[in-house]
Amino acid sequence: MKLRKKSDQVVSLATDKNAARHSSGVMMNRRTFIRNTSLAAGSMSLATALMPGMIKKVQADSAATEGKVKRIKTVCTHCSVGCGIYAEVQNGVWVGQEPAFNHPFNHGGHCAKGASVREHGHGERRLKYPTKLVDGKWKKISWQQAIDEVGDTLLEVRKQSGPDSVYWLGSAKFNNEQSYLFRKMAALWGTNNVDHQARICHSTTVAGVANTWGYGAMTNSFNDIHNSKAILFIGSNAAEAHPVAMQHIFKAKEENNAKVVVIDPRFTRTAAHADQYLRLRPGTDVPVIWGMLWHIFKHGWQDAGFIRQRVYGIDEIKKEVAKWTPDEVEKVTGIPENQIYAAAKTMADNRPGTFIWCMGGTQHSTGNNNTRAYCIFQLVLGNMGTAGGGTNIFRGHDNVQGATDFCILSHSLPGYYGLSAGAWKHWSKVWDLDYDWIASRFDQGSYEKKKDKALKPMNTKGITVSRWYDGVLEEKDKIAQKDNVRAMIFWGHAPNSQVRGPDMKKAMEKLDVMVIIDPYPTMAAVMSDRKDGIYLLPAATQFETYGSVTASNRSLQWRDKVIEPMFESLPDHTIMYRLSRKLGFDKPLFKHIKVDNDEPLIEDITREFNKGMWTIGYTGQSPERLKLHQKHWETFNFTTLKAEGGPCDGEYYGLPWPCWGTAEMKHPGTPILYDTSKSVAEGGLTFRARFGVERKGVSLLANGAYSKGSAIKDGYPEFSDKLLKKLGWWDDLSAAEKKLATGKNWKTDRSGGIQRVAIKHGLAPFGNAKARAIVWTFPDPVPVHREPLYTPRRDLLKKYHTYADRKSFYRLPTLYASIQNRDFSTQFPIILTSGRLVEYEGGGAESRSNPWLAELQQHMFVEINTHDANNIGVLDKQDVWVETPEGARIRVRAMLTHRVAAGVAFLPFHFGGWFQGKNLIDKYPDGAAPFVVGEAANTAMTYGYDSVTQMQETKVTLCRIIKA
Amino acid sequence: MARMKFFCDVERCIECNGCVTACKNANERPWGVSRRRVVTIKDGEPGERSLSVACMHCTDAPCAAVCPVDVFYTRDDGVVLHDKERCIGCGYCLFACPFGAPQFPQQGAFGRRGKMDKCTFCAGGPVADNSEKEFELYGANRLAQGKLPLCAEMCSTKALLAGDASVISNIFRKRVFNRGASVFTTGVSHQNAALRAVPRKPGGRASTKD
Amino acid sequence: MRQVTAVGIRHPGATRQRNRRYMLWSFLLLIALTLVLPLVPYAVAYLQTQAQNSSAVPNPGTELWNTIRQRDQAVIGKTQASQVGAGTLINKRGEEWRRFRMEKLVPYSAILLGGVLGLILLFYLIRGSMRLPGGRSGKRILRFSLNERSVHWFAAILFWILALTGLITLYGRFVLIPLLGAEGFSLTASVSLMIHNFLGPLFLLAIIALFFTFVKNNFFACIDWQWLAKAGGLLKQHASAGRFNAGEKIWFWLAVILGLTLCISGLILDFPNLGQSRVVMSWSHVVHGISAITMIAVSFGHIYLGTAGMEGSLESMTTGYVDANWAKAHHDLWYEEVQNNSESETTEPLTPAPETK
Repeated sequence: MKLRKKSDQVVSLATDKNAARHSSGVMMNRRTFIRNTSLAAGSMSLATALMPGMIKKVQADSAATEGKVKRIKTVCTHCSVGCGIYAEVQNGVWVGQEPAFNHPFNHGGHCAKGASVREHGHGERRLKYPTKLVDGKWKKISWQQAIDEVGDTLLEVRKQSGPDSVYWLGSAKFNNEQSYLFRKMAALWGTNNVDHQARICHSTTVAGVANTWGYGAMTNSFNDIHNSKAILFIGSNAAEAHPVAMQHIFKAKEENNAKVVVIDPRFTRTAAHADQYLRLRPGTDVPVIWGMLWHIFKHGWQDAGFIRQRVYGIDEIKKEVAKWTPDEVEKVTGIPENQIYAAAKTMADNRPGTFIWCMGGTQHSTGNNNTRAYCIFQLVLGNMGTAGGGTNIFRGHDNVQGATDFCILSHSLPGYYGLSAGAWKHWSKVWDLDYDWIASRFDQGSYEKKKDKALKPMNTKGITVSRWYDGVLEEKDKIAQKDNVRAMIFWGHAPNSQVRGPDMKKAMEKLDVMVIIDPYPTMAAVMSDRKDGIYLLPAATQFETYGSVTASNRSLQWRDKVIEPMFESLPDHTIMYRLSRKLGFDKPLFKHIKVDNDEPLIEDITREFNKGMWTIGYTGQSPERLKLHQKHWETFNFTTLKAEGGPCDGEYYGLPWPCWGTAEMKHPGTPILYDTSKSVAEGGLTFRARFGVERKGVSLLANGAYSKGSAIKDGYPEFSDKLLKKLGWWDDLSAAEKKLATGKNWKTDRSGGIQRVAIKHGLAPFGNAKARAIVWTFPDPVPVHREPLYTPRRDLLKKYHTYADRKSFYRLPTLYASIQNRDFSTQFPIILTSGRLVEYEGGGAESRSNPWLAELQQHMFVEINTHDANNIGVLDKQDVWVETPEGARIRVRAMLTHRVAAGVAFLPFHFGGWFQGKNLIDKYPDGAAPFVVGEAANTAMTYGYDSVTQMQETKVTLCRIIKA
Repeated sequence: MARMKFFCDVERCIECNGCVTACKNANERPWGVSRRRVVTIKDGEPGERSLSVACMHCTDAPCAAVCPVDVFYTRDDGVVLHDKERCIGCGYCLFACPFGAPQFPQQGAFGRRGKMDKCTFCAGGPVADNSEKEFELYGANRLAQGKLPLCAEMCSTKALLAGDASVISNIFRKRVFNRGASVFTTGVSHQNAALRAVPRKPGGRASTKD
Repeated sequence: MRQVTAVGIRHPGATRQRNRRYMLWSFLLLIALTLVLPLVPYAVAYLQTQAQNSSAVPNPGTELWNTIRQRDQAVIGKTQASQVGAGTLINKRGEEWRRFRMEKLVPYSAILLGGVLGLILLFYLIRGSMRLPGGRSGKRILRFSLNERSVHWFAAILFWILALTGLITLYGRFVLIPLLGAEGFSLTASVSLMIHNFLGPLFLLAIIALFFTFVKNNFFACIDWQWLAKAGGLLKQHASAGRFNAGEKIWFWLAVILGLTLCISGLILDFPNLGQSRVVMSWSHVVHGISAITMIAVSFGHIYLGTAGMEGSLESMTTGYVDANWAKAHHDLWYEEVQNNSESETTEPLTPAPETK
């Protein structure tokens, strides 16, 4: 029927600078070449040799009917929009892909990546079997051998240096069950050195936003944008990074007359469809936002009522904003007054307006300032908690939201419980394990102090992925753990998303062992000069397993398995089982999770996290409810996401968290966060009372604002057993609930009774507070502007300098001022920024191994303004070196354009397989090299880490460009 | 009888290349043969617009006119197809086609191009519907299954429309109306917007004198 | 008739006159109004549209579509597709080329070739073959060396194969499909095109060889203009000529020039892997087609004259030798030259030419 593995027709395309001009697309293999140019004697043989089948009579082929075609519902594995997919499978082969017209998120639409997922069923360049690097050569080994050897090495490292010397780098491509399992696995191994892509992507968002009003996630949804009358993008190129989101934006634009404002250093494809475009200097987000607020405050456009009732600290903000006069804004950002005014007026005149940001805002050393400024902007305009408003943060990978929520993060346990003893105790109970035993798994030493109290590694934040190699290279005594990181596990995570390539390479060469568990080898396999000690274990993709996944709008979707794992790959959770068994803690890890044939039962894992994720309401989404939603996804309204009739009537698609209480409570999910127009039972919400009840004499609780049906017509703190008793509702709990709820609060009550009773009375379990515009625990309580570490504007440094160096931050010394104080602006005069391409995703190993995608982006390039190019003497498509101040250099093709301003250059992120001018394609294992290779942008990107989350500063640095 | 047409709504196309890979997905043509492509005018500048183009299934098809072996034929529903088995790979259809739709698997010396391949509107070719041979030669035949071309079905923003011409023009008419309606409500033509890089000065320049 | 005269009316006649005047003026006014008044709404409407147009927003799509249609200048867009010319959305030359080939090249060339053939046939029927004046003398003179003949036939045979295969590509659809059927013709056309494409580059060698072999004697001189004035002796006058007469010289230069254009345009067409655009290809085809048809048409004449049209001509290219009388009749100056240069070339002493009538 349909599926063809046309592997004999596709030839590897090594896109180095010497690739023949014929690399412009057309491949031919030897067979067809000979066939088509042979001059065989005799016309008949000539004819048949050259035109096969041409003169044969056309046979009427009977339509292939062996094996019925099954239609399987799943979700795209690429970005977090979560597009629905119908996969058609026949005889276990993925033969067709049909658009899911009635899926509420995408209505059948896909971008280039989503439209090509069926290629995963071909998997020509997949890692096919466990492989080990022996003496510079890749050797096939068995799973048994791989697990044994890796396990032995890890145990040896643990014995010699302690559990913190193994770094567990997890994945945003795990499904929820795998994410949760992975975090649990790292916990039972005994380390907090566990992290994933969110760190380098939206960590500053989560930190900034959660610390403003309680949760750090997208507040509304893509679909809800239909209701917006204004849409502002800052540092977000949705047209390339979230193309299907544009479907919703266009709907708002065309049917709601929504105005679109784009703020970006580049005139992106999104800007091309905007009404207003503001070109800012990279790294000056806070001045732009404060500049807009300057006009808003000046004209009194703020929503005074909303601020009075639901926001704390605006006066402090006003003081800071007053400094940002139009002249100052223009001086720092480059944007003239009339544009800032126009943008501010547009947002003020057209409410509700939504505010969208992505990496452009988050990936800075002051990322947490940016994200908080964005939130404050929406608070000031009163755009929060309303349909069409909100902060619609577009997340990246397909399950980065889920992986973040399950805290594959070095600073928290699942559900953002943190790392305190209380958090550990809560999870110990959920896992039904002895808390002391878990504590004993950790290194018992102490390397950090908090107010003279010795802290243990169990309770201190681990090293982040953005700095893992500093954990390897830094002097042992300067790291807040027993020893250096000695073993690195890249589990579904590429290395080219971290900066400072040369340092990373050194670290890779110093490691005892590097384990890469991925469907593809990734650049980690080839970047270093190691001759051994690298293990490649083939993981299955998300189409070869099943489970739940959380889209950016907090909806959980259930994926069904499309095909069996290909070649010798195994689903991640199976590998976790086998590895934990070798490491000796499989029994506690899977205590209440059934394992059949080495594969843990996914539904058991869902049920387990349903029992523990009270903080963010991952408790109501049972497997049964999620599967029902998947089965009837056509019954959900396109704008409200509410099911209108059908078996899911009244529920919101995917039961967006918080889905309070137990599954039996049947909470419908919370489609729009902080929306007080609905009762909590119907999906409404208040701002979380997370930061205390009072500060400096001012109440932090909501002032006269409350959700519909609320028993308390005012603010209230978060719920605990004490509060319930105080309110006289303790006896609303059942006996069983009382048993578990005693001495607990809404986060730790494993019966869910406290939540149930609170909601019964129309109250949000987490309280009803004001959002705070000042985060007094952050380095900058009021968000301020600080110049990037590498900046050309030395004149601004006096006023807007960066932080002081820190001796220990996430266990590592972290530099700020000592970097910024060095002047690189004359030697490296061009500002360098980075971003995305629609054809690829993340580190690119997966998408560059898909020929349908790879054909569309065959060369790594740098966008350079024509002005600069002429100054340098570079022509379009010529090779250039892009060199950065720390000594790294990459060789790429110049693309002359006006998209970037003069003085700014742009690198796309997803390439890999080259390193500083050297093509590494031959170093990949046979048959597992991507079709397209190129320099990784982050090889050249420089030092710079956010002051709260260690997010790297990949959006602004300096470079020079010279002809190659 | 329905007349099948493509239409790409330039106000919605974001050059996501979904149509391009959807076509590969449905028809599995080899590397180098791209039946559909997206072209962007004024790339990187205000007024940037993209258009997805493949065979436009012309009523008076130039390819059919110039073919020396007369392998083209137009179905009743307007879809222009050709017989690959009789194609001699001369390339004339490519010279004549305004849209560059014909694709050749090789760019060989001595004019060896191989058999011409082009967008079939997912309607296969002159062999048995949905047979293996049809898929090998022509790719999918979705029309025979009552479906429409996958490129348009999978367009991320519903920019690319394919199907009966009257249905498509109705859809587009509604969009034009919606976009033009902004003139009545806001006084600014919606379609005009992005052609300006810098917004017009708002009425009343903000200053400390306000 | 007696009028009732009211008080105040002085002259009954004057009243009537005045009334008539009033009536006349009213009537004229009425006519004027009926003519002018309807124009007022038009004027108003005109002024309104003027006002509208000055503040009207031009259709933004106009600029875009003009760009795409390349009304003002050629525009190359950006695309991720890597085929040559992928950045061009609409190639206007394609339709122009299609028009040229199908509406001009095919019909007119058929007429031209058919016409030339017809004229030659007519000429032959009327005039007949040109016999040797005075019959054969029996004496033979070497005209073309082995080398020259080889080069000529190499080029000629190659030319004919290429011409034939080219004509199959041009006319086959209309002439041969009815004869051979669609599939049968497809095989023929395919083989034919392949032969054309492989032998084509060889023709360049042939033309170059042809050029260097025959150029020496092909430069024009005064005698050639005289020969032309006498129409080459077609009208029974005697026209002097050297080794090659003007007609042959014209043919030589035509063949070389057209041959070269054919080869160059042919090479462009034959090697599409050099990255040339569709526009270049279609222009090459135009040049190729026109050159080919012209050359074929003129070659008809050359072949006619070399075979049926003139007695004693063919053997010059087959055996290399011509009869002395033939030489004297058609290339007398060359004949003299040969006589002067080498006595030994003649096999027999000269005999006076018999008188011609």
